Amino acid sequence: MKIGPLNIPLKEDFSIKSILGFEKSFINIIIALSVVAMLGMLVIGVTNYLIHGHHAYNVTREHPWGLLIAVYIFFVVSSTGFCIVGSLGDVFGFKDYTMISKRAIFGSIVTIMAGFTVIAFEIGHPVTMLIYNVLSPGLTSAIWWMGTLYGLYLTFMIIEFYFLLNNDMKKAKYFGLTGLLVGLAAHSNLGSVFGFLNARTISQGVFYPTYFILTAFITGIFLSFIIMGFRYKLNFNDKTKKLLEGLAKIQGLLISILIFFVTWKLLTDMYGGMPNRAEVAHHIIGSSTFWAEVILAMVIPLLVILKDFGKSPVMMFFASLIGMVGIFFMRYNLVHDTQLKPLQMMKVKEYQLAPEWIHYFPSSSEIMISLGGLGLCILLYYVGTRAFNLDEEAHH
Amino acid sequence: MQVEVSRRKFLQGTVAMTVVGGTALSTTNLLSNEHASSAKVGDIPTFTTKSGQAKSHEVATLCEMCVNKCAALAQVENGIITKLNPNPLFPKSKNMLCARGNAGIQAVYDPDRLKYPMIRIGEKGEGKFKRVTWDEAYEAILNGTDKFPGLAKILEEEKDNRSSMLFCAGEGMAEHTFKQFFQAFGSSNWLNHASICLQTVASGYGVTLGSYPQADLDNAKYIIMGGANRAEAIVTPDTMDAFKRTKGRGAKLICVDPRFTNTAAKSDKWLAINPGTDLAFVLALTYVTITEDLQNQKYIDANFKGWEEYKNSVLTNKYTPEWAQDITGIKAKDIYAIAREFAAAAPKAVYYPGRRSTFAKNDFQLRRAMAIFQAMHGAIDCKGGLIFGSKLPMKPHEGLEPLYAKAESRAVNKVDHPSKGHAGYDDCAIVSGGGSWISWRNHFIEGKQPYKVRGMFCYKHNPMMNMPNTAKTAKMLKMMDLVVTIDTMPSDTVMYADVVLPECTYLERTDPVKTFGGVEPSIAVRNKVIDPMYETKPVIEILNGLTSKISKPMFEITKKYDEDVQEQIDDEGLEATYAEFDLTLPFKQTQEELNHHAVSMYLGAAEVLHKDGVFYPKMDKYFKKLNVNEHQYYPEKKKYYSTKKGKPVTPSKKVECVIASLAKKGIDPMPVWKDEYNFSVPNGKFRLLTGRHAQFTQSGTSNNAMLRDLMPENFIWINKRVAQQKGIKFADMIEVSSSTGKTQLKAYPTEKIAPNQVFFIHGFGEESQSLTWAYKNGGNDNSVIEDHIEPVYGAAAMHETNVEIRKV
Amino acid sequence: MARYGMALDYKNCINCKACEVACKEENGVLMGADKHRIWVGTPDIQGEYPLLDIVSNSFQPSQCQHCDDAPCQEVCPTHATYYDENGVVRVDSDKCILCSYCMNACPYDARYVDDRTMTVDKCNFCSDTRLVNGEVTTACQNTCPTKVRTFGDLDDPNSEISELLRVREHFSLKSHLGTNPKLFYLT
Repeated sequence: MKIGPLNIPLKEDFSIKSILGFEKSFINIIIALSVVAMLGMLVIGVTNYLIHGHHAYNVTREHPWGLLIAVYIFFVVSSTGFCIVGSLGDVFGFKDYTMISKRAIFGSIVTIMAGFTVIAFEIGHPVTMLIYNVLSPGLTSAIWWMGTLYGLYLTFMIIEFYFLLNNDMKKAKYFGLTGLLVGLAAHSNLGSVFGFLNARTISQGVFYPTYFILTAFITGIFLSFIIMGFRYKLNFNDKTKKLLEGLAKIQGLLISILIFFVTWKLLTDMYGGMPNRAEVAHHIIGSSTFWAEVILAMVIPLLVILKDFGKSPVMMFFASLIGMVGIFFMRYNLVHDTQLKPLQMMKVKEYQLAPEWIHYFPSSSEIMISLGGLGLCILLYYVGTRAFNLDEEAHH
Repeated sequence: MQVEVSRRKFLQGTVAMTVVGGTALSTTNLLSNEHASSAKVGDIPTFTTKSGQAKSHEVATLCEMCVNKCAALAQVENGIITKLNPNPLFPKSKNMLCARGNAGIQAVYDPDRLKYPMIRIGEKGEGKFKRVTWDEAYEAILNGTDKFPGLAKILEEEKDNRSSMLFCAGEGMAEHTFKQFFQAFGSSNWLNHASICLQTVASGYGVTLGSYPQADLDNAKYIIMGGANRAEAIVTPDTMDAFKRTKGRGAKLICVDPRFTNTAAKSDKWLAINPGTDLAFVLALTYVTITEDLQNQKYIDANFKGWEEYKNSVLTNKYTPEWAQDITGIKAKDIYAIAREFAAAAPKAVYYPGRRSTFAKNDFQLRRAMAIFQAMHGAIDCKGGLIFGSKLPMKPHEGLEPLYAKAESRAVNKVDHPSKGHAGYDDCAIVSGGGSWISWRNHFIEGKQPYKVRGMFCYKHNPMMNMPNTAKTAKMLKMMDLVVTIDTMPSDTVMYADVVLPECTYLERTDPVKTFGGVEPSIAVRNKVIDPMYETKPVIEILNGLTSKISKPMFEITKKYDEDVQEQIDDEGLEATYAEFDLTLPFKQTQEELNHHAVSMYLGAAEVLHKDGVFYPKMDKYFKKLNVNEHQYYPEKKKYYSTKKGKPVTPSKKVECVIASLAKKGIDPMPVWKDEYNFSVPNGKFRLLTGRHAQFTQSGTSNNAMLRDLMPENFIWINKRVAQQKGIKFADMIEVSSSTGKTQLKAYPTEKIAPNQVFFIHGFGEESQSLTWAYKNGGNDNSVIEDHIEPVYGAAAMHETNVEIRKV
Repeated sequence: MARYGMALDYKNCINCKACEVACKEENGVLMGADKHRIWVGTPDIQGEYPLLDIVSNSFQPSQCQHCDDAPCQEVCPTHATYYDENGVVRVDSDKCILCSYCMNACPYDARYVDDRTMTVDKCNFCSDTRLVNGEVTTACQNTCPTKVRTFGDLDDPNSEISELLRVREHFSLKSHLGTNPKLFYLT
């Protein structure tokens, strides 16, 4: 397909027919129906938001960041993760990993677009943002940097993908490297959104800006297992098996590091009973979502990896699905835990209970928009697999 | 109330709910973007109550959200009141407006307020009314409808017994105007809020010291506040003065209260006392003072009457702190310490008189004991003590007080009570000016009155909410043949009316000018801010219209039955006689004219009052701004701390410790303790206490949207340990019941109340469906409080009820 | 120009909520559960009846502290939160995108969302209703029954607030965070 001077190679049979012409197996039908349902939920949720504004959500004065922020982070982390995995091959030249580059870079594009879609319905005035981010930028604001860098990152990813499609490896490597660096900067700025919150002692500090990169890589690898699993329908050839084994081993190392980091973070949070820090950490450890995160994202995948040292990619596929649920909880916990402790601990009315912990549970609109974003992401990826050849080219 | 007015629904937290809800001006006018662009600073669109476009002007007025009448400046823009700010000129309020004062705007623009006259078309109490014109309303009062009789029929049937109509009023600047109607009409049945408010405390001090004094909390070094919650029951200027000085900044405040109020939070010491046992506390303080010779004996020798008798009584009865400890729960060592500290600080020491409804049956004796205790230290009429102050005189204007031969005297027992010597209520000793509402009501519904009372005129008064035992009040209203209410809001009492006459709110009228006495006396007036909305009118105009309608027809009935009048007509002629009975005479002038006349002795005062709202002689010389927050009203040396040479103002010019005439009426002539005063609560029950929060004024403000925003409903205070034991958690629905009735409200477990007591604030739980926010909101204490009265004046004793609570 | 701040003699405060109502009426703040610019907070009282801890039941008026080093200003991506020429921290609702970063960054819970503009709002020292007209007062300061608040120019050494801060001991909230609030609590 030609757009001006740009040549975008599409698959010859790309059409509505090819999109709808998937094997009508039971699993596929379930997934297709789920995607349709999720898109339907997106429409309902967005309509609700357009009518009621932020009153459709359960965000409050003390808890202004809710599920949509967590889902946005989930998507952009996935995107950065895809970018890291994708750059293993085409930027750093690890030959075993080149076969996944195109698919991963495409994945990074669709996930960040899903993320932007979700956040568009959380930011109160997205058009104002586009104008004033340029006209009067707040250069000390982590959100400004994050937003700007992610915009740049998306641009670079799209350009890299273009060059990958056209098999121009040299240019792809150039944009891939730039994109990776910008992406890592953007992602650690996202972490610093929390890290710079001096008033929120549980989140303030070096941890989030740095460990975000670690979890991005972990997320990228989980997602790689998933997309490769769907590509090969769990029937992997040798080359893929080698790729996946390598990824699994890396994942094992990364998850171990993650467990190490999180353990020390919590220990240092709780040690000495520091006010505003220790009791929050205690509360977190007592919460079910924290243990969901630990077990689903860390323990189970690690056990599966250790069992065979990465030699069973099928098991890894399922472990990755579980892992992604855990990763979702990781993002949700991040957002919710930051706001757990009220900053104003006094009663403002006589007839109320003294504030203790801030309670939050997503509203139906928030859940619907989040699932809708997921559905959109899956849809875009699927259409992409039909439109583009995401496998490695025969020659190199 | 089923009239053709649409009810606005409360949309929690959505855009539709805004601060200014005037129906005269659509809200979007003040909040739309056109006005936003007029803001100057940084060209930021602002959505404020001030549009910044139109010129605004200020009118000096006096607040009416409670009885304090703080001076306010109302800001008016485009005919809409947009803000109420304090008026710094008034010495009494000292440049402040409380939460209610600020929320006065909501009272004017309350969509539920009464807008036009109405007459009843449904059953009494149903709240079914029909809108009528003023003339039709007056006509209905005179001649009735098919649903209720008019004055003409009633007076005809009662043969011109003018006392067949009861007149009752709440406190207000125009209460006097309404009272003139009462006097001109010729009834002798007058009831006002006194017996459900400060009758007992005012009279207790009145018979002992000669008058109900104020406290100089600006200079007192030691203050005992017993059951007076000045941090929440705001009284000007006491609240303004006291709390700047507690906590080691010039005054030591001892708070004696069964529950931990905000005053206790501001005090230097809080003593939890058993309800109704303050008298034992005061007697013990007196005992310590006497036995340790801490009193001002010179002052006592010169100014006391009956001291020896009182002193001997205290000593022989052994009112020791140890004795008081068992009764009150206050430790003996605290009582010793307080007595000594008070004496050391005297005469700059105040046992604060208080100003509220009666707690217990011994209240009168308590206040007498407090007055004697204060006077023992010579801390009367002096700086830092209790003061009588000075009052700027005004010219009175004559009212009409005709004599109707057929008007019976007050509806009390005609038979001279054997032990009391003369006519009175048989359940209380003295019939004061304000009467005893509860006695009167109970006699009425039990048919024990000596003649028939057929109807009532009720002005600015809400008996359904303000009196204990709501069920009996409803019965009384139903039994009345003609109930005419003059009010601003469709209260529970208005629901029982036959004719409803809407008065305009305080921001829409000029009221009678008033002189405020004290250390820094002044005269202040309420100036009309905006014209009355809808078809409402100030009471003076209402009475003008009403009397114009009824005066001549009433006189015809008088002519028929009143032999004295017939004789006078024969002697002096009809016109001359009628001139004495012309009900319209007191209401012929406008309020502005009357005000002008009242202050005519002060040169230029009327103009100053009209422009600035406040006047006192030499104001332009004395009034100075001292700093950002403080003003000088009078120079220190010109303040009226001591105006009676330190003496009391009783007829004898002595402090009356023993009042023999009381004994003849069966009342203790001097304060003594009786065993029946002891505090006890049956097992499983709780003593119910009532009180105030600074955000509401009784039931009158219950529909104010802004105040409801601060405190959506009332909760019942239950001790945390008791609540835990009963499985009651915060906001659980609780049913409170007594022998009088029951009510429901949410629970507030707190340690600020004793395990055998409960408390909730008065003024909620209304039954009038026309009050959108107040309808069935919270619990109504008067549904549950039993109608005990104290035996001297028949004032309602509010803390004598034991209740049961259970979770529902 | 001026640098406005407020000194609070908080021991005078009787928690009557006059300031809360005055603020809402002055500035047209919506009614509703969490829509308040200023408030008076009180901790739950300690102790068991009748031995209650009087000093634990203190009343602390609070609002936006108009910090000299405001975290809200630092984190705003579009400069919607800015310092005006009087040192007052303001929100330009034209530029606010409601990312809510400032709401999370503020250590004092001073900010809330104005439902009409869907932007963040907070105390602005009555800049657009009083300061703009040359009146150096705020609605809350003006109305207080016990005169808790003294509002004035901190840069003017002769102003009353400057004098108060020279002679009375005072503290600010959460001073360890380095926000340099311009609200001073007099002890």
